[in-house]
Amino acid sequence: MQKKRFGFASVIAATALVVSGLLVPSAHASNEIIVWADETRGPHLTKLIAAKGDWVPGYTIKIVTFSSYSALGDALAKATGTSGPDIFVGGNDWVVASAKTGKLAPVTLTASQKAQFTGGQLYDLSYGGKLYGVPLDINNVGMIYNTKLVPNAPKTFGDMVDFYKANKTKLGLKNGLCVTGGGLSWGGLSVFSALGADPYIMTPHGKVQTTYRFNPNVFGANMNKYLLDPVTHKSNGFWASSNTTCNDDFYTGKVPYSIIGNWEWQNYVDRGFAMNLQPVPSVTGGYGKMFGSVSGAFLTSYAALHGTAVGAKSLLVNLFASTAGQVAYEAIEGRPPAAKGAQSDPGVSDAQKGFGAAAALSSIPQIGVILGSNAGGSNYWDSSADYWTQTLINGKDAVVEARKLSKIWNADLAAVASQL
Amino acid sequence: MSGIFRGKFALIAKIIFLGITTAIMALLTEHAFAQKQFVIGSFILVATLALNIVYLTKISIPFKFFLPGILFFFAFVIAPIFFTVQMSGYKYQTGNYLDKPAALEQVLILGAQPDAAGTTFDINVGKTPSNEYAILVSDITNNKYFISTKTQRTDVPKASLKFDANGVAIAAPNFTPISAIDLAKNDAYSKINYKYEGKYYIAIEGQNSGGVFRQELSYDAKTGVLTNTATGATYVDNHRGNFAKVGSPSEILNPGWRAPIWFENYSRLFSDPKIRIPLIRVFTWTFFFAGFTVLSTFGLGLLLAMALNRAMRGRRVYRSILILPYAMPSVMSILIWAGMFDSDFGAVNSILHTSVHWFQNPMLARGVVLLVNLWLGFPYFYLICSGSLQAIPNELMEAAAIDGANPRQVFRKITLPLLLQILSPLLIASFAFNFNNFNLIYLLTGGGPTQTLNGEIAGSTDILISYTYKIAFGNPNLQDFGLASAISVLIFLIVASISMYGLRRSKVMETFV
Repeated sequence: MQKKRFGFASVIAATALVVSGLLVPSAHASNEIIVWADETRGPHLTKLIAAKGDWVPGYTIKIVTFSSYSALGDALAKATGTSGPDIFVGGNDWVVASAKTGKLAPVTLTASQKAQFTGGQLYDLSYGGKLYGVPLDINNVGMIYNTKLVPNAPKTFGDMVDFYKANKTKLGLKNGLCVTGGGLSWGGLSVFSALGADPYIMTPHGKVQTTYRFNPNVFGANMNKYLLDPVTHKSNGFWASSNTTCNDDFYTGKVPYSIIGNWEWQNYVDRGFAMNLQPVPSVTGGYGKMFGSVSGAFLTSYAALHGTAVGAKSLLVNLFASTAGQVAYEAIEGRPPAAKGAQSDPGVSDAQKGFGAAAALSSIPQIGVILGSNAGGSNYWDSSADYWTQTLINGKDAVVEARKLSKIWNADLAAVASQL
Repeated sequence: MSGIFRGKFALIAKIIFLGITTAIMALLTEHAFAQKQFVIGSFILVATLALNIVYLTKISIPFKFFLPGILFFFAFVIAPIFFTVQMSGYKYQTGNYLDKPAALEQVLILGAQPDAAGTTFDINVGKTPSNEYAILVSDITNNKYFISTKTQRTDVPKASLKFDANGVAIAAPNFTPISAIDLAKNDAYSKINYKYEGKYYIAIEGQNSGGVFRQELSYDAKTGVLTNTATGATYVDNHRGNFAKVGSPSEILNPGWRAPIWFENYSRLFSDPKIRIPLIRVFTWTFFFAGFTVLSTFGLGLLLAMALNRAMRGRRVYRSILILPYAMPSVMSILIWAGMFDSDFGAVNSILHTSVHWFQNPMLARGVVLLVNLWLGFPYFYLICSGSLQAIPNELMEAAAIDGANPRQVFRKITLPLLLQILSPLLIASFAFNFNNFNLIYLLTGGGPTQTLNGEIAGSTDILISYTYKIAFGNPNLQDFGLASAISVLIFLIVASISMYGLRRSKVMETFV
């Protein structure tokens, strides 16, 4: 009986050994660079690497694609030394949290590599004075207008509102403006800025002007003049922030102006849309600022644990930060490349150049440490969205709400001024 | 039929099943230990041994049935509770994820500062005749070339070098270059700080580039003090998960580590107005939401059950229709309702010819939440009440009627008390369920509207669990798992108390029966 039981145990142990041999995953090879990307960038990078895989001699490159941008973020949040990537591609708004939590490793670029980028772009990917990645492409918005409806480019915000009011009935316009790209907070900065409210501005030397405060009375007065109905104190229809079908209305010619993200341009081209592109004009004739942020390829601290830090750093420089790499990648991805050399390359489309030019005309870096600051009781993202809701939808006093907004933004900026 | 559970077939099946299970669990054990997850590894190891002992011997027949359940209970109920309680005593938030050794390692890496000019060089990696790793450095700007090892820097005359097309030195006497292919196989060379000038060294920054750095932060393991050699500033463990500057404790170094702060997360719930005020509001709304939901769903369910408890034409059809909301996946129902209340294209505004922003007004949003939950919840109570009504003996009602009671009195004095006696535990269970009804809030309103301009942190429809979720996962720059764990423990205590009360009511019911 005893013998029989030992026999069972032996058989089970043997089965276990055989099966575990089949199940053991292949170890992370020290010459394999793992790159994580979301559902749009992942397939594009895979295509790029399939066409040319020798970006770093001696190393192979493996692209891991996640089902969405947020899925990629979740995976990064849970990543450990064993499971994490060597490089990931994402927005600059991940820099602060990732750097604070020790997930990122600093990168040092040569002077010639740095010269390919603006100071603002490198600032976008830095935290605490350290650069953590290389700028890959520009994320910005631009305002397009339907040239079948609007014959001339608007020079001021007032021109757009006047056009809407004058042609509302005649052209059957539903609204005047959509903010499609990036939502109320990210895309909506252009409107805030055009009407006189900026969460921060930059000095000519590319530093944050920490003493800047917007004037809530002026901004509130502009809100009343351009966006609010004098009777209901709610949206006058020019921009109905709650219109979830605004983009469809724009497509069908019921809205003349729309703020779109550069990644959306191709959708309009594919529909044969007649349009022109420019930044949102301000009330005084200049342009409202937009977030001209960059997405980047980031080096993780896991690369050192995997023994691939040198290969990963080389991949950042040879592929993600190089003119050749960005031109090849953006030919598939379709966003404006970040590197100056790539921006002027004949392989880059007019639309990509147009958005790049719009960003150059009127953009500010998206500085996560300011925008994510909560010192004033809320961060930029939540407070800006709430301002639109309280005024355009709930009809609250634009000036009173602007003062609350100003208080929050000022406190947020003041709290992080020493980190800038 | 029972034959297949006996004999050789059963034995082979058992061996294969146990073998596969053991293999998988052994693999998980190995991975857990490799990742230094000793508690998890030990648990899986013990579970593996227990499974084999129980199923290979006749030590305990009941255990053959109970063991899987017991193991899952420990793994997925006890362990998460234990972990949550443990984390509630830690500073565990953005910036404090790592353990202390890992955080210190990162702090020291960040303590390497480039020289003021941000100097970088083209380099080639190779070895010296003594088989030591070395780099051949081309300082093209200054027309200087040298070979550096960890301890020595040797200038090399330009005439003795070979160059590539870009003017970068690729070969020198007493220097054997290593090909990129070979370098990729072993990164030992990249961990060396190569000698440069004074305290500065060259670190590998790519296959062909190096940067000039100086290690400004140094750590004394004996005293636990970090010193910035450039400024003289010292940093010590502040016992709150960070190295803080001596004399200026608010200046901390990132990243930090998870550090025990004992009951501080709990005390913050009461002492920090930024947490306390929204928490009280959320807590009040959560109780109201759960209580009102139970009352409304029970009331409507009972009403319909009583209406359909008597013979009528088409009763089966009505009953089937009433169960439909329950049969439909709640996620779908919630999303459909959310669409119906959309301000622009929603059916509700369309039917009422209004343009109400249902989810932007706190009171309206709360009303919608309660209405949708009534829709989702009443079929359950309709079913329960229908069954319970049929269980109440008709004789009681008939006797009351003979004694002169009118239908209202019969309901109030006989039907309802008997129903409540039977359904009390279910009502309590429903309250506990709705207390944590995360799906409804998350999918319907996302907890909003949140009037952030008025200083609101929690949304008007946030319940405790959705508020906790926001604290833990809402803003990636401000995630606070420790605080979220403390609130979770609070929720657990509330729900556990309610459940205990429910269990006691169950015993009352048993006594009644």
